[in-house]
Amino acid sequence: MSSSSTALRELQRDLENKANDLSKLQKDIAKNHQVRKKYTIQLGENELVLKELDLLNEDANVYKLIGPVLVKQDLAEANANVRKRIEYISAESKRLDASLQDLEEKKYSKREAELMGRMK
Amino acid sequence: MASLRGQQVIRAGDMEKMSLEQLKVLKEQADIEVNLLQDSLNNIRTASARLEIASTALHDLSLRPQGKKMLVPLTASLYLPGTLDDADKVLVDIGTGYFVEKSMAEGKDYCERKINLLKSNLDQLIVVASKKKTLADEAGVVLQARLKQLSPSN
Repeated sequence: MSSSSTALRELQRDLENKANDLSKLQKDIAKNHQVRKKYTIQLGENELVLKELDLLNEDANVYKLIGPVLVKQDLAEANANVRKRIEYISAESKRLDASLQDLEEKKYSKREAELMGRMK
Repeated sequence: MASLRGQQVIRAGDMEKMSLEQLKVLKEQADIEVNLLQDSLNNIRTASARLEIASTALHDLSLRPQGKKMLVPLTASLYLPGTLDDADKVLVDIGTGYFVEKSMAEGKDYCERKINLLKSNLDQLIVVASKKKTLADEAGVVLQARLKQLSPSN
């Protein structure tokens, strides 16, 4: 009957949409992982730098590479900069964690909905 | 390090209960992880080697007297004659674009510290990698046994 075939088509379309949403979610989750990885690496490097800076005497010379130029920096300023960067990266990581949780939850609920749709 | 997927602790007994599909997936996952870990191991070894070279170069430099004639590399194929000025101060790259002026002794100490850090990381990684490899091998063995079971016509 035509009514049931339209219902079937609608169901199919609905299923397709859900499948698309799911794959988009997967892509978002993968991207999230990538950015997270990058942040973890940067965080590690910055912490190493901070440790080295802490070991220095007050009067030691610190230089920063800005483009092709080595610029002399104040030790206190360098410390502050690295600390700020570490804080920023940690905050970004936490934000990413929260959004990852969110995405995973959405994925599970969508997957369940899709399975239910398939079973019907 | 944060794991990418929730890691399950798989014991050998669990593998017997898994279906063929699950075993295949497990083996593939374990293989991928083993490869990743191997890459990391190689990276650490390369970095370690570079640090050793730096350390040797430092040591060599410390043996040279001040005022010694040397050739300074400007590009990969262009060297300029120069004289060694102060071999006691060295600039150390500590990462993220920061350089620190250190004395020769401190520079050598820095290299040593980094080399030791890398060595301990390498050891830890080797432990994890061998565990993963054992898991992958076990999964492979059980998978093969299961396949043989399912196709007794072989």
